[in-house]
This record gives sequence, C-alpha cells and structure tokens, in this order.
Amino acid sequence: MTADTIQLEIIAMEKRRKLYSTIGILLMIAVLASGYGLASSMNSGSFLNGLEKFFDYPGEIVREAWEAGSGFFALVLQFLPALIETLNIAGAATLVGGAAAVVLAFLGSSNLGVKPPVIISVVRRIMDSMRAFPELIIALFLIFILGSSPVPAMIAVAFHTAGALGKLFSEVNENADAAPIEGLESCGANWLQRMRYGVLPQVLPNFLSYFMLRFEINVRASAILGFVGAGGIGTELRRTIGWGRGAGDETAALFFLLILSIFAIDQLSSFMRQRLVSGKAGS
Amino acid sequence: MIVNELSKHFGTVTAVDAVSFRIEAPQMVGVIGPSGAGKSTMLRMINRLTEASQGSIRVNGRDILHLKGKEKRRWQRDCAMIFQQFNLVPRLDVVTNVLLGRLNGHSTLKSLFSIFGKSLVEEALAALDRLGIADQALQRAETLSGGQQQRVAIARALMQKPKMVLADEPIASLDPLSAEKVMTSLREIRTRDKLTVICNLHTLDTARTYCDRIIGMHKGRIVFDAAPAKLTPDVVRDIYGADHALDESVTSTSIGERSAGADPVASDVKMAS
Amino acid sequence: MSGSAMTIGSREHSAAGLGVYPVVRRNSLLIIAATLAVAAYLAYVFVAFDVAGLIAKAQPMRATLLATDAVAHKVHVTKFFRGDTQTVVAVEGERTATYATPPDWVRIADNTTAVDLGGGYRVEIKDRQLVMETPDFGPIRATVTGRGVVTQLPEGQSAPEWLRATAAKFDARPTIGRRVQMSRTRVEVHRYFGGWENFFFPFRSELTAYSPMEILRLAFSPERLQADTPNWKLIGHTFWTNPDWQHGHVFIALLETFLMAILGTATAGLVGLPLAVLAASNFTPSQILRLAVRRLFDLLRGIDMLIWSLIFIRSFGLGPLTGALAIAFTDTGSLGKLFSEALEGVNKQQMEGVRATGANRWQFYRFGVIPQIIPVFISQCLYYLESNVRSATIIGALGAGGIGLMLVETMNTQRDWENTLYLIVLTIGLVMVMDTLSGKLRRRLIQGR
Ligand SMILES: Nc1ncnc2c1ncn2[C@@H]1O[C@H](COP(=O)(O)OP(=O)(O)O)[C@@H](O)[C@H]1O
Ligand SMILES: [Mg+2]
Repeated sequence: MTADTIQLEIIAMEKRRKLYSTIGILLMIAVLASGYGLASSMNSGSFLNGLEKFFDYPGEIVREAWEAGSGFFALVLQFLPALIETLNIAGAATLVGGAAAVVLAFLGSSNLGVKPPVIISVVRRIMDSMRAFPELIIALFLIFILGSSPVPAMIAVAFHTAGALGKLFSEVNENADAAPIEGLESCGANWLQRMRYGVLPQVLPNFLSYFMLRFEINVRASAILGFVGAGGIGTELRRTIGWGRGAGDETAALFFLLILSIFAIDQLSSFMRQRLVSGKAGS
Repeated sequence: MIVNELSKHFGTVTAVDAVSFRIEAPQMVGVIGPSGAGKSTMLRMINRLTEASQGSIRVNGRDILHLKGKEKRRWQRDCAMIFQQFNLVPRLDVVTNVLLGRLNGHSTLKSLFSIFGKSLVEEALAALDRLGIADQALQRAETLSGGQQQRVAIARALMQKPKMVLADEPIASLDPLSAEKVMTSLREIRTRDKLTVICNLHTLDTARTYCDRIIGMHKGRIVFDAAPAKLTPDVVRDIYGADHALDESVTSTSIGERSAGADPVASDVKMAS
Repeated sequence: MSGSAMTIGSREHSAAGLGVYPVVRRNSLLIIAATLAVAAYLAYVFVAFDVAGLIAKAQPMRATLLATDAVAHKVHVTKFFRGDTQTVVAVEGERTATYATPPDWVRIADNTTAVDLGGGYRVEIKDRQLVMETPDFGPIRATVTGRGVVTQLPEGQSAPEWLRATAAKFDARPTIGRRVQMSRTRVEVHRYFGGWENFFFPFRSELTAYSPMEILRLAFSPERLQADTPNWKLIGHTFWTNPDWQHGHVFIALLETFLMAILGTATAGLVGLPLAVLAASNFTPSQILRLAVRRLFDLLRGIDMLIWSLIFIRSFGLGPLTGALAIAFTDTGSLGKLFSEALEGVNKQQMEGVRATGANRWQFYRFGVIPQIIPVFISQCLYYLESNVRSATIIGALGAGGIGLMLVETMNTQRDWENTLYLIVLTIGLVMVMDTLSGKLRRRLIQGR
C-alpha cells in the first residue's frame, strides 16, 4: 500500500466510520451506564455512600496491623500453615486435573488416530461439561457429603481443571506436526509410544506453559473456596472477618500472605512461560 | 514378496491401479514415475501406513495386508520406511531418535520412561557410526543438516533390524553431495545386509546408477518393469507421458553433471515430483 | 540435553560413543525422578488432607438421600397426639400445601388413619399405636406409653437393619421412598413420588388442576378466571410468585450474576485498554510511567478477586455492583497486561504506513493500531467473560449475592434439595449458554469477517 491510497482510504472511510464508531461508543457507554444504574439499584448499599467508605475498611485493617507492631509478623507466621494448605489444594488439584487433562486431550484430538473415532467426540463432550461445572457447586456438594475439609475443594478444582486444560491441550495437540508420528508408526510403535515420542516432545512446552497459568488461577480459586468451608486461607479469612471489629490485624496478615503468594506465583509463572514458549525445553 | 492386483482409491481418484510384481531375491528396486503416479501410495500400502482398497501382498505365504494389531506393527518394523521429510522427532537427540526404531518389541512402560539398556544404545551408536554421524549422537535432530537427518533416519531403519527397506523419495530434499551419501548407504543395505530396498526416485540416472531393477509407474499402473539397461528413451516417454525427449542430465543428482540449458518441460517434471 | 560428554575429533565409534550411554541413562533417570517427585508430593498432600480418614467418615447415604430428594418429592402424613389430633396430609409437610381432602392412599376415619405406602407396605395409626405391615416382614407395632415409644417385633424375629427403635423415637425406612417415624408427640409417614411438585403453580392455586394444554388455551381465552386480571397475566403472576420455587427471585438472582460478569468484564476491558497503551514500550516512551502502570496491573491482579470482593462488600453492601467492581478491578490488571503485550507485538509497517500519510494522532490509532488490536481485545474479553460468569457465582457465595448466594443458602438449609438442583441446573445452563455464545463469537472473529 502506498501512502496515497492509504490517504484516500482514510478520507473515504473516516466520514462513514466516524459516525459508526461514535454511535457504537455512545451505545456502549449507555449500556454500561444503565447496567451500573441497574446494578447500583439492586445493591443493598449505594454507590456514592460506598465510595466514601471505600478506604475505611482497608484503612482500618492497616491501622490495626500497624498497632500490632512486631506481633504482626508473628501473625503472618501463624497463618503460614493455612497458606500452605491453600497452595496444596491448588497444587494437588492442578497436578491431578492436569494429568486427567492430558489423558482427555490425547483421546479428544482428531489427528492422533484414536479408534474408534466416536471416542473423540464423546471425550470432547465430557471436557465441555467438566468445564461448565462451576467449582463452587461441586465444592458445596462434596462438603455436604464429606464434611468441611480441603478435599472437596481439591476435587472441585481438579474437576474443572481437567476440562479446561484438556480443551487447551487438545488444541495444542491438533496443531502438532504429523511427520514424527507417521515416522514412528512406520517403525511399528504402538499408540502410546507414538503419543509419547511423536507428540509429547512437540507439545510439552506449551502444556507446561498452560499448566503454570492454570496453577496460578487455581491458587486464587482455592483461596476463594475456603470461604465456603473448604479450608486453607479462605476459611481463616471468613473466621477473622466474621468476628467483625478487632480482628483487623489478623485479616491484614491473611491479606498480606495471600497477596504476597499470588504475586510471587504470578511473576514466577509468567517468567517460566516466557522461557518455555521461547523454546528452551526438551523432553 | 508377491504383490498382486494391489489398488487404492481415494474417493473417485485411483491412486494405484491393480499393480502386480514380485521380488524373489534381495534386490534394489527403483520406482520412477511422474508426480501423482502413485509411487508413495504404493510404498505406504506395503508398510501399512495406508490401507489398500484391493489386492494382496504375500510375504512368506502370508498376506500382510490382513495383519492386525501386534502382528501388523511387527510387519511395520520388518519393512523399515524412509521418508522424504525424514520424519524424525526434531526435539529429541539423535541417539534417542535411532533408539525409537526399536520401540516395537520394547515394553511400553519402559518406553514411556525412556529406559533403554546399554546394549541397545551401543547398537544405535554402531548404526550411527556406520552412517558416519556418531559424533552428533547427542545433538538435537533439528539442529542437523538435511543430509545428516536422512542418515539418522536410515540409522533408525537399521535399528529396526528390518527384512526390507522402503524409501519414499529419500533424496528429493537434499543437496547433491548428501544425496550421494544417502544413496550409497541405501545401496550398502542391499549389498552388505543383503536386504531388498524399494526406492521411489524422481531422477532417472539415480535409478540407473544404484538400482538392479526399475519399475516405471504412470497413472497408478506399472508400465515398465525390467533391468535399468532396458530403459530406453521411448520407455521414458511412456512413463512420464511427455512428448519430448527428456534431457536426462537435467534430472540428475550427481555432481558435475548438471547442464545449464535446462529443458523447461523436463525441469517441470523434476520440480513437481 | 546437548552433547556434553563427547570425545572431540575422534571418528572412532568406541570413542565417540563413550559418553552417550550415561546421558541416555541420565535422561531416563530424570524422567523417573520427576514422576516420583510428583507421586511423593501427591502422597504428602493425601496424608496432610487426611483423605483416608475423610473417606471413612464420608456419608454416602447423604448422597443417595440427596439424589432421591432432588428428583422426587414426598408427601407427609402427620398425626399429632397432643392438641389438635387431626391427621394432616401435606406436600413436603408445608402448611401451604395441605390437602383439603386427603388423597386416596390415605384413609381417615374417626381416630384411625390408614396409609397405603404401595408395594404391600401399610401403616395403620390408632390412638397412640401404629401397626406397620411390610411384604417380607411380619407386622411391627409401636406404642407411645409413659416410658416412651415401645416397639414390638413379630414373634421370634430380630430387628431389620432399616429399623431404628429407641425409647425416644421409632424410625423405619424399609425403602428409600417410604419412611415411618414415631415420637412421643406424633407419627409422621413419608411417601415419595417422582418429579418436582408444584413446579409451575403453587399447591393452593386453582391453576394446579389444569394440564399444560389447558393452561395454554386458558391464556388466550377471553373468559377470565379472575374478573379483574386477564388470564395470561394471572398465569404469569402465579408462576412468577410460586412460593416453593420462587421463580421470580431466582430469575433476579441469575440476572444479578450475569450483570456482575458482563459489567465487570466490560469495565475491565474498557479501562484496561487505554492503560495498556501506557504500559506498552512502543507507545509510551516514559519508562517511569510504563513501570508504574505495569506495577498497577500487578497490584490489581495480585490483590485478587477474593480480597476485592471482601473490600467492596464492606463498602457497597450486597449486590451486583459489588461483584461487578470486584471483577472489574481484578481483570483490569489481567486484561491490561494481556493488551499491553499484544500492543507491543503489533506490526510496525502498518503503523508506519499510516504515519507516513500525515495522519494525526487520533487517526494514527484509529487506522494503524486499533484494527490490529481489536481481534485480541474482543476475543480476550469474551474469554474472560466466560470465566467470569463462573467467578460471579463464587463471589456471590462470598456474600455479594446473586445465584451463588442463593445456592449456598438453600444448600445450608439442607432441606429442599429439589430447589438446589433447580438452581444448579440454571447456573450450569447460564454458564453453558455464555460459553457457547462467546465460543461462537470468537470463532467467527478468528475466521475473519
Ligand atoms: N491422502 C490422500 N487423499 C486423497 N488423495 C490422495 C491422498 N494421497 C494421495 N492421493 C492422490 O493419489 C494420487 C497418487 O499420489 P502419490 O502416491 O503421492 O503419487 P506420487 O508419490 O507418485 O507422486 C494423487 O493423485 C494424489 O492426489
Ligand atoms: Mg510421492
């Protein structure tokens, strides 16, 4: 494209598009504004009142934490086991769900010679429905049957992870180069061996990258599920917040731990993903 | 090996049309023909990568087209296949790629964990050494040149301890020097290991130089099957369906034989295959 | 994994291959070690979570009951011994769903109540005594005396496993769908029927008597059931305000959850995009500004939806606004980061081409940048919207409201599992509809317009 044609194009399109985009943007703002209006009217507290109080709560817990002085660090240490429990929920769920996802993904990819082919579509349906189940529902249901414990959260998160990662993994699989697989087939390798050597080395870096991303998401999910009785840092938070005033320093310690660990995992996972995708891993 | 009335249809296209031939004693067979003649499809059917539509392939009295499961995979191991694009695992090192030739017969559990015994590794190294690339054993396959990769593929084929070797245009993506090395190695499999080698080729003089017998294919049918000496210009015209006499030197891969004034039709033939 | 232990320069096989086997072995040992490490970690977690103890304490019976209750409803036949001793037959024992004339499987005469539970199970209550007959067990008698509930089994028989009889309570449940309980004050007989009872109209409503086809005909009929309202309005209103199923409230809750997700995601996208421009190195020369915006993204994401929700619940109370803001704050960080990465990857040539035409700043963005970034923008927003519908149910359960909170509340009452199942079905339905819609939109976007 030369500068001239672009110039012409700009002039021609601008008149038309300027109008469209203005209308589009106005429409979007109108939808958002009315949405917020509706949301605000449904809320028990009002928006403007809340705005004033927005910093009250964070201020309050920071002040109480400040007043606790060095005791604050003792609190942080005291809640470390809760954090570890949350991390374990996420870690175990990501590993178990990730393993299930690998199995599902290999059975649900159309280019890997899965026989009979009906398995592929069945497995895909299974992955879709696993993804659709909100973690909350499975967790609540299992808490009812198993009692309050980290295990329901772990199962719930793992279940969802299997579906979500399975779908991403199978997309990676379907982009895999067929030549190595064919090469192994011509040697008389069986299906598992073809997957292990023909596909896995190609897809592993992407798998690991998605896995790290999912671990980060799952730490957040595990913390939240604690709030409905699944243990870990969420359960501690519900306890300290439920006490109302006075437990601000404990709440602050929990917030501090959670923010710190999510921040660390976030940084670690984006660092590792960058390395993996830039192609430094073999198998 | 007796191939009888072997056919393959892809929808309405007949890729291979009632092909019959037999191979009694170990020999090096060159298969030539224009692009789309069905050469690859025929080799793939012998290796069972592609299912045949009709016909039979009898080896020692067994129709290998009816083998299933384990026996089919055992047959695939027995007739090693070499591809134009090498079909190695690019991210794995060379020695592992060669070891993969022995996956058949290796326990699945062991192969999942990449457990290969010392004697297997030594066998793989011997195969690499025979092809002159033992020094690269620990490099990743993707870092090697095309010629080296094809030699790794041949080493993998040797690792299979095959009863015959199929090669689908093994030198089509290689430079002349590498091509010569690869063809010499294949010829050696014929002379030293006394195995049958069936080799799809796109250059006539390569076929003449290295093969004991040449099969010419045209539109899925065998139109020529004899010793290279019988390959007259008339026959070549039949095979390639060209009305022009082919300037053979153009389609050559040997060094120093390239002539500058290439006949356009002939080079089309070469490019397209 | 590249060659470390190779003898350089040697063409001898024995020398060249010298270091190869150790490397092959090391690779396989690494794979085995990694597998074992994962297994060991999982074992540790299973011990730390006391999975064995948990399974031992699990109550699979609860799951069966819950499953039965979720797809069936029961009718209570209750007889009190004190006060008003009349026998009451009611769906789920609800006062609002009491039969005026008992169904034909309950016969009430003077002070005798005979209940036919079907399949050869019968209960007869007379004064303060009940007789229970089962097909494969003799009649069981239970009487309320001064010492409590006295149970008499047939001569020479020991108590079946489905019967628990103490002085305080007689509780027989020979099958999942039949239950007889007796305490000092009353007898309660449950009989289960499949399906959700009174799903469309409340028990007391005159509409309950009509079939679906009749309802349809009524809706368009000019003959009014109630003089002051048209029939369709009456039908709609009766359905909407059904006290057992609360369709109206459930709908509002779903709407709240949906609002949270869509407002939160839209806000995050619209705020995240301009901020992303400030964080992208090829648009913002100032490194300080860039770093500041990037740290802001990290902070918004790092604080996490959980904490944002708790803070917003404190200041804004319950409701969709709270949830929307929590989602918006967290995802402004996530989307902002993604957009800034996408902006850093835009094609320079196209931008330069536009700049060369002498376009002003607005035109430069409009024609050089936006067309490249819009597919990423929309597809990421849709992707986050999908996951935020799920997040919104969880934030709701924390106290922000919507379907999540309703779900937690009905589950905590542990009574009407059919309502819980109804909510679960609706929630999953909402999630699936959103997934499908956004998937379709994204695919259309990627395949080009
Ligand atoms: N997988 C396939 N699906 C459909 N048609 C195919 C397939 N493979 C080969 N063909 C067709 O079969 C014919 C023979 O192809 P091929 O065996 O590759 O020829 P050659 O190797 O001699 O160039 C061609 O017309 C080709 O289009
Ligand atoms: Mg071919």
